[in-house]
This record gives sequence, C-alpha cells and structure tokens, in this order.
Amino acid sequence: MAGQLELSLGGSRVKALGVTQFVRMVREALELHLDEYWVVGEVSNARLAPSEHLYFTLKDKRSSIGVVMFRSACQKLRFKITDGMEVIVRGRASLYEARGALQFYAEEIQPRGVGALQLAFEQLKERLNAEGLFDGARKRPLPFLPHAVGIVTALGGAALRDMMTVIFDRFPNVHLIIRPARVQGIGAGADVAEAIEDLNREGRAQVIIVGRGGGSLEDLWAFNEEVVARAIFRSAIPVVSAVGHEIDYTIADFVADARAPTPTAAAHLVVPRKADLKRRLDETSATMGGAMNSALLAHRRNLAQLAARVREPRGVVRQIRQRLDEAIAALTEAIAGSLRARRDQVLQLAGRLRPPRAEVRRRELELLEERLVLAGARAVEANRQRLAALAAQLDSLSPLRVLERGYAVVTDTRSGRAVVDAAAVEVGDELEIRLNRGRLRARTTAREI
Amino acid sequence: MAKSEKKFEDELKDLEAVVARIDSGELSLEESIDAFERGIGLVRALNHKLDEIEKKVEVLVRNAQGELRTTPYQNTAEDKDDDEF
Repeated sequence: MAGQLELSLGGSRVKALGVTQFVRMVREALELHLDEYWVVGEVSNARLAPSEHLYFTLKDKRSSIGVVMFRSACQKLRFKITDGMEVIVRGRASLYEARGALQFYAEEIQPRGVGALQLAFEQLKERLNAEGLFDGARKRPLPFLPHAVGIVTALGGAALRDMMTVIFDRFPNVHLIIRPARVQGIGAGADVAEAIEDLNREGRAQVIIVGRGGGSLEDLWAFNEEVVARAIFRSAIPVVSAVGHEIDYTIADFVADARAPTPTAAAHLVVPRKADLKRRLDETSATMGGAMNSALLAHRRNLAQLAARVREPRGVVRQIRQRLDEAIAALTEAIAGSLRARRDQVLQLAGRLRPPRAEVRRRELELLEERLVLAGARAVEANRQRLAALAAQLDSLSPLRVLERGYAVVTDTRSGRAVVDAAAVEVGDELEIRLNRGRLRARTTAREI
Repeated sequence: MAKSEKKFEDELKDLEAVVARIDSGELSLEESIDAFERGIGLVRALNHKLDEIEKKVEVLVRNAQGELRTTPYQNTAEDKDDDEF
C-alpha cells in the first residue's frame, strides 16, 4: 500500500516508507555513525525488570535518555544502581524500534567520585547492618581455652605460617584444624564461605580464625562478599576475622564475633599463653597454702590459750586468791583504821577502852576469808570442768591432726611469726618447721617468689 | 576434651573462691582443711587440663562426594615463599 504512494519531496518524486522501514533506517544510521561512548549523568527511575535487565533514565540539567543494561552486563555490576546516583555509563546509542525511542545500551557502569568496589562495600555494609548481621548482642565470647582451633586461609600463605608460629609459641600442645581456602581471585569468597561451613560440619573446632595477609582492596575482596558474611553469621562456632589490613575494616570484620587486625593478632586473641595460666595456678596454690597456714595458726593459738587455762587451774586459783588477799587486806586496813580512830577518840575521852571488839571483828574476818576461799575454789572447779569438756571437744579438731597428715607449720626463728609469704624470708634465714612429731631447724638456701 | 567436664575458666574461679574462703578466717578448722583439700584437687585438675590437650595439626579436605576428612598437615608448604598472602 505505502509502497505504491509516490509523492513530491524537494522537487523529486519519492515513495512513502513504512514506519518499520523508517525506524530501522534511523537505527542503522545511528549505529553506523555513533561509536561507543562514556556518558555522565544522574540515575532516575531505576528498575530491574523480571527479565533481570536493568532500566533507568540518565539525565543532566537539560536532557535525558533511557538506558537499558542487559542481564549479562548486569551480572558484572558489583554495586546496586539507585536513583540519584551519579554514574558514568559506557555503551552505544540505538533505537528501540517498537517505540521508535532513542535508548542507550549500557555495557559497563562506574559510580562517579568513588570506586565501584568502595561503593559496593558501603551498600552491602548498610544492607547487612539493617538486617542485623553486625548486631553486638549476637557476638559470642571466644572460648577461654580452646582445645581445637579451626583456621581458614591459604595453605601456602605467610598468614598460616605466622599464625602457627604464634599459636605454638603460646600454647605448645594445641590442636589445629586447617581448612585451606583460596583467599584471592574469582570464587575466593565462595570458597571461604564453604570452608567455614565445613568446619562447622566437622564440628571439633571451638573457634575459627578466617583470614589472610594484607593487600589491596581488590585482593581482600573475598572478605567483603555477602556469601562470606552470611557464612560467618550462620557459623555455630565463634569466628575471628583476621584480614591483614590494619586500617580498613572488611564486611567479614563487622560480622565476626571478634576482629583481629592481622592473622598474628588473631593467634594472640584466640590462644592463651600456657605459661601465664601455669603461673596463675602456681600463685593461687601458694596463696592457698599461706591462707591455710594462717588458719592453722589461728586455731592453734585459740587452743593453746584454752589448754593453758585447763592445764593450770592452780594458776587461776592463785589469781583469785591473790585478789581475795588484796581485798581482805584492804578491808582489814579500813576496819583497823576505823578502830584506831575510835580508840583514839575513846582514849581521849576515857582512856580505859579495851580491844575486845577488835578481837571479835578479827574473828569474823577470818570466817569470811574461809568462806570466800571456799566459794572461789568451787567456782574454779566448775570452770575447770567446763574448760576440760571444751578441750576434749577441741581435741578432735586439734592442729596436731593436721600435722599428722603431713602439713607443717613454718615459723621465722627471729620473729617467731608464721611464714606465709616467701618474700618475708631472705636466703640464709633460719626457719623452724613444726612437724607432727618434733621440730626442725632449717636454713633457707633458695627462694622463689 | 570430655565435654561433660567443667570448663577451665569455671574451675579456676572455683579455686579462687576456695582460697578466699580459707583466707576469710571464718571457717572452722575442719572446714578449712576440707576446703584446702578441695583446692589442691582443683589445682591438680586444672594443671591436668592444660597438659592433656594433644598437639595435632590437621588439614580438613572435602572429596568429590562432599565428604569431609582430615589428613595430617605436611609443612612443606611453609617453605614456599612465592605464595605470599
């Protein structure tokens, strides 16, 4: 139909074209004359079609153009294209024939200002953070004394060598389970993730170190991949990230239960120093020995005091008697003084007083003394019996019983004090060692504090 | 490795609590001695825990069927200096 129409155009007769024909011609002209270009602009209306082709409008202040990026090209994109983003797009212009629309067919997109990797990192970080993968409450404490340590790193790498050196230096008898993984290049992220899963399946490791030595952002990229972050998050065994880069963090660092700046630092973090633990045990044992000695001495002193009183009731009686004597003397003196005063008075008055009353008084006093002594003796006897009962009870708890078990009490000969701290004794000092049977005198030949 | 056993750090705390009790001077002689004996037992157990771990370096590998197995570590790889990462 259209082909049959002949019309005048610029002085000549031309045939009218069909739309399809025209559009195709324009497209071919475009493709013929326009090479590949890099075009800078702002993204708007970005959307991912179910076909996984990416569509958006690229615009600047005056113009805009529709952009399409096919699925195959999208797969190489490391970051997500969002509205408002400034990007540089490589591709060529063509015509979408169905709508006769000009379109830019993108092959590659770079973020403007920051690197693509940096942007991908920020985007993933934000997303995983929002999902709770970095939640501090989820982070588990590392085992205090891990019997088996899982390691995910390259088998021939310096990182493994460094970690093994430090680990065995700190704790010579520890069990390492190494799950080798590629830590760089294509597929490294998936390998690292799989390694973490394998150690979980194997199940003996009580903590896992995931790491490698330092490198560029590209080199360390595996540790910024989502698959690694998810594997760490899912791990039932606590994970320590150890990517040697000191300053920057990787995504793995944010998800891990603990982060070490280098593999060597991770080894320090995960494995305690055996010598330190041994020393702590030795010190605690020594403190306990000292405390026990003090306790023994205190009990012994208490018993000695009681025993002294029980063994010497006479001493107690003597004391009471002495106090009694003093009281009687004071009383006699007081009475005598009073008598003297009265006698003087009477003598002064009559000069014929005899002292029969004084005789009577003295007799009364003697009776009183007898009664007091008897009462005192009875009191002492009652006390003695009570103390004897107490002593019998204490005998079962006697420190001698403790000495029978082989413990000894060590005293400083000069001060007579119990020795509870090696620091209180100098080399050469004489010590007395009290055993179950007998005592020893010993001279200090060496001291260890 | 026995998982039913108490953890090292928990037993260490127990030991320190025992020492504090003896040191408090509030125990009877018999109680002090019981505590002391318990403490000695804990020290022995803790020392044993440090020494009982067996030194071993294994490499975990996955075969084509996806099964895991461990092989002893050969440290020949350590001499390779061209693989630095």
